[in-house]
Amino acid sequence: MHLFVQACILGLLTGGVYALMASGLTLAFGIMRVINVAQGALIVLGAFLSYTLFTRFQIDPFVGVFVIAPAMFVLGVCLQLAFLRVLREGEREELSLLVTWAIALGIEGVLSYVYDTTYRSTNTGYANRSWDVGGFLFPEVRVFAFALSIGIIALLYVVLARTRFGRSVRATVQNPVSARLLGVDAARVSAIGFGLSAATAAAAGAVFGIVFSFNPGSHYDLISRLLTIIVLGGLGSLGGAVLAALFMGTAEAVFQVEISPTWSPLTFFVLLIAILLVRPQGLFGVAARGSA
Amino acid sequence: MSQRMFKAVLLLLVIAAIATAVAATASATSRGAGAGPIKIGISLSASGDFSDPGKAAKRGYLLWQSVVNSHGGLLGRQVQLKIVDDASSPNQVVTNYQNLITRDHVDLVFGPFSTLLTAPAARIANRYGYAFVEPSGGGPAVFQEKLPNVFFAQPAPVINCGDPFTKFLLSLPKSQRPKTAAYPSLDDPFSSPIADRMRSQFQAAGVKTVYKTIYPPETTDLTPIVEKVASNHPDMVVAGTQSEDAYAQVKAMVQLKFSPKFLFLSNGASSPTEFPDKVGKKNTTGIFSCGDWFPNSNAPGNNQFIAAYLKKYGGNAYGIDSGSAEAYAVGQIIQAVAKKTGSIDNKTIIKTLHSGTWPTVEGNLSWDRYGSPKGSDLLVEWIGGRLVPVYPPSVALHKPVVPKPGWGR
Amino acid sequence: MSRIRLAGATRAAIVIGALALFPFLVGQQWVQIGVLTLMYAGLATAWNLVGGYAGYVSLGHVAFFGVGAYAVAVAFTRWFSIGGGYRPFYVLPLIGIGVALVSVPIGWIAFRTRAATFAIVTLTLLFVVQQLAFNLHSLTQGSLGILLPQPSFPNSEYEQPFYYAMLGLLVLGLLVSRWVATSKLGLTLFAIRDDEDRARGLGERVTLAKLMAFALSTGLAGMIGAVWAYHLGQIYPQFAVDPLITIGMVLMVYLGGKGSLWGPVLGALILVPAQQELAYDYGSSELYLIAYAGVFLAVMLVMPRGILPSLTEQWRRRSARSRPTRPSQRAEEPATS
Repeated sequence: MHLFVQACILGLLTGGVYALMASGLTLAFGIMRVINVAQGALIVLGAFLSYTLFTRFQIDPFVGVFVIAPAMFVLGVCLQLAFLRVLREGEREELSLLVTWAIALGIEGVLSYVYDTTYRSTNTGYANRSWDVGGFLFPEVRVFAFALSIGIIALLYVVLARTRFGRSVRATVQNPVSARLLGVDAARVSAIGFGLSAATAAAAGAVFGIVFSFNPGSHYDLISRLLTIIVLGGLGSLGGAVLAALFMGTAEAVFQVEISPTWSPLTFFVLLIAILLVRPQGLFGVAARGSA
Repeated sequence: MSQRMFKAVLLLLVIAAIATAVAATASATSRGAGAGPIKIGISLSASGDFSDPGKAAKRGYLLWQSVVNSHGGLLGRQVQLKIVDDASSPNQVVTNYQNLITRDHVDLVFGPFSTLLTAPAARIANRYGYAFVEPSGGGPAVFQEKLPNVFFAQPAPVINCGDPFTKFLLSLPKSQRPKTAAYPSLDDPFSSPIADRMRSQFQAAGVKTVYKTIYPPETTDLTPIVEKVASNHPDMVVAGTQSEDAYAQVKAMVQLKFSPKFLFLSNGASSPTEFPDKVGKKNTTGIFSCGDWFPNSNAPGNNQFIAAYLKKYGGNAYGIDSGSAEAYAVGQIIQAVAKKTGSIDNKTIIKTLHSGTWPTVEGNLSWDRYGSPKGSDLLVEWIGGRLVPVYPPSVALHKPVVPKPGWGR
Repeated sequence: MSRIRLAGATRAAIVIGALALFPFLVGQQWVQIGVLTLMYAGLATAWNLVGGYAGYVSLGHVAFFGVGAYAVAVAFTRWFSIGGGYRPFYVLPLIGIGVALVSVPIGWIAFRTRAATFAIVTLTLLFVVQQLAFNLHSLTQGSLGILLPQPSFPNSEYEQPFYYAMLGLLVLGLLVSRWVATSKLGLTLFAIRDDEDRARGLGERVTLAKLMAFALSTGLAGMIGAVWAYHLGQIYPQFAVDPLITIGMVLMVYLGGKGSLWGPVLGALILVPAQQELAYDYGSSELYLIAYAGVFLAVMLVMPRGILPSLTEQWRRRSARSRPTRPSQRAEEPATS
């Protein structure tokens, strides 16, 4: 029983990090109907930047977030303007998948060139400490990571719910045509939305880099999980992504411990297929409007 | 011209283009010179998964080339290396060796990095009758191919890496030996077979297996698994690992405050600079690992190798990757054959290397019919923040220290 | 109509004939590149049935390639011997049918989703199959890989049997594509590509059509995977089910012309030799991935419809401008090129 609870704790903490990573992804889809396969690569890029800030300039990763997030916001906007805006409306969904995959490969290539393929991790002093609460261990780093993730997601939520920009985003997600008729500047919303998504990737990357080891090739494994999470949660739904991430993280950790570590990566995918059989649009997704 | 005609012309143009390319390059193949420089073809991974060790191997090969050329070359001829990139892909490595042999007409070929690439490449070399001395393909797959032209330039097949540790532990009096053991290993062609082999050896000697598991290669978070290991309270943990998971396991053990009396990690802990950097220098004491080469080994020619390496590349001896030593050893072997027989003809090499012992920086090497080396690797232990060979006694620089102290001492 | 068939068949015969003569004109190392090129050409053609005709972008096709690879590896290391070396080629049809049958239930689940979700689900499938290849140790030997027996073909012609096997599979793929394109199945698929709901509303057997295309496509991919495995001699999970193969075949289809008959082949003929040569000649290039990504982006952004359709379109416009359209010319334009 102890093992089970400990696994749940670790799983939830990990799930929080996944939630942050997935939030940007689902946001990009909701606003622009773009599957950003490069999100994984952007996260890894964020991890490398955070690592460099830490090892070169001794800036703690949690502080470094405030530097790299704005930088990657700008990068995100540029990527959107350069590569995604030119895609025509009808084929955007399909081509975006491939275009962003190409961007991901490009980022991987640049990172391999600059950093080579040694695995790294941002080893802060507190990286190995953990708190003992009632016999259960809470690794410090993971708790901080969880806190940051939830914090940023909450911030995202506030932006979406309270600001004018947020309202434009929600309108665009619900019905792009009407939104445009009502005066929402779709181009601006898309660019800023993508920038935001890249900024969350930066934060997620900083966190990811502390908890896990990574190299330029790590984005494949990441993106496959993130895509599964957002499909499970429903494409475009932020709340869905968060819940799905927490659920998946916990399920995987429990599975790893109780049943077998070899099969645990499959939990993600098996759960996905199971849910899709019943609800093709995911838990909170909008029912197919000609496409899921 | 109608649309159909247009398409026909387009297709014909494509064919013509292919044909021209073929003809052009076919006529451009050069014949190998008999008395000019010796050309050696090598495929290495400059990109992809194996690019780091690939670069280390490249440094080793280039170093050997400069050393041998500065001493008059091989049999009086200067050595030229043609190194091509296989992007860590088996498809590409096969193309590369075929091209090196049939297009560039190299005199010799040296091996690439990793068993995964060595095994398919060895077959190509064999089909063309080329000797295949290779630095890093030591997994069972290579020897299962039963090729007579393969020679693995390390003291022992990779899966026997843990043998020195087993021998050492079982040489201790029974009261000092561990009673129980856990075996968490990485699912890859080397790691889990090493641990499996050690497990059967230990089980046969009466050490009880309380837990064993194999985790997938991309597992970044090993905390739940280490948790499970710890909950079984083993005296000894024998882990078949590579680098990343070795670091992750140790970090998890520290976080979960679990310190076994004996800890062996087949890889990762064998890295002189990375390991203390990743897990914390104070946590390394008493951890065992194994390997084919270490900077402080007293194998033949090692001091000269290190001196030459530092002169060419700078840095310090502890930063040298064993991949460079392995590649260097390949060159040394060919050099020795040339000295002994006066020839570097492939048939001669294959015939000569199947008998006798050959001194290299990897130790004194000898092989069986299918290229499997007959020696043993080194057991190393972290003592006082340094990685030290402790077994077999003939190469030990320190007595092994057991049991392992707690974390942070 | 028969005039088109004759012209098309003649073109096809010329190309296939040239490809068949190729091994006699060049050395073994070129034939070996040819094996790889034809492999991708076949894969691209197979993918086109689902991605091009039906408009469903599948990112997981290499999963079936891998299944075919493992099928032949397991069969010939456990149950059969390769005899004179040709037996693995004889069992190809069985493997094709087997993989096609296995793909039906998988396709049925996947086709419940559309567009982006479908792409993600198929990508997921890829990782699932890769994971299974790692985990099912007793069958696949997991990460240790499987070593296939080496046939004793004479060294001077070693590559030929593999080359012709791949060529045969490519021809099969082209024949199937042509047949589908001109049949009722093809019409249904194109209708699905244009507007699936409408097609369904009009009474078309949409699911059946999709599954048939999927089965044909995956069966081909599986057979190609089997030949690849036999050729390479050794397979590992991460190489038999490799996302880079999927992206390669997709890129070639888009480059050559999605939905056209010869487009995928053209894409493969351009990209594969170029890539192998670049990797070989430009020695230790770390810029490989960046270059690849660059090519990919260029194709997607500049010519998303691919070479053949774009050129055909330009030609059509130019000839339309210089000549008044004649009724016979309009009738001669088939739905696919």
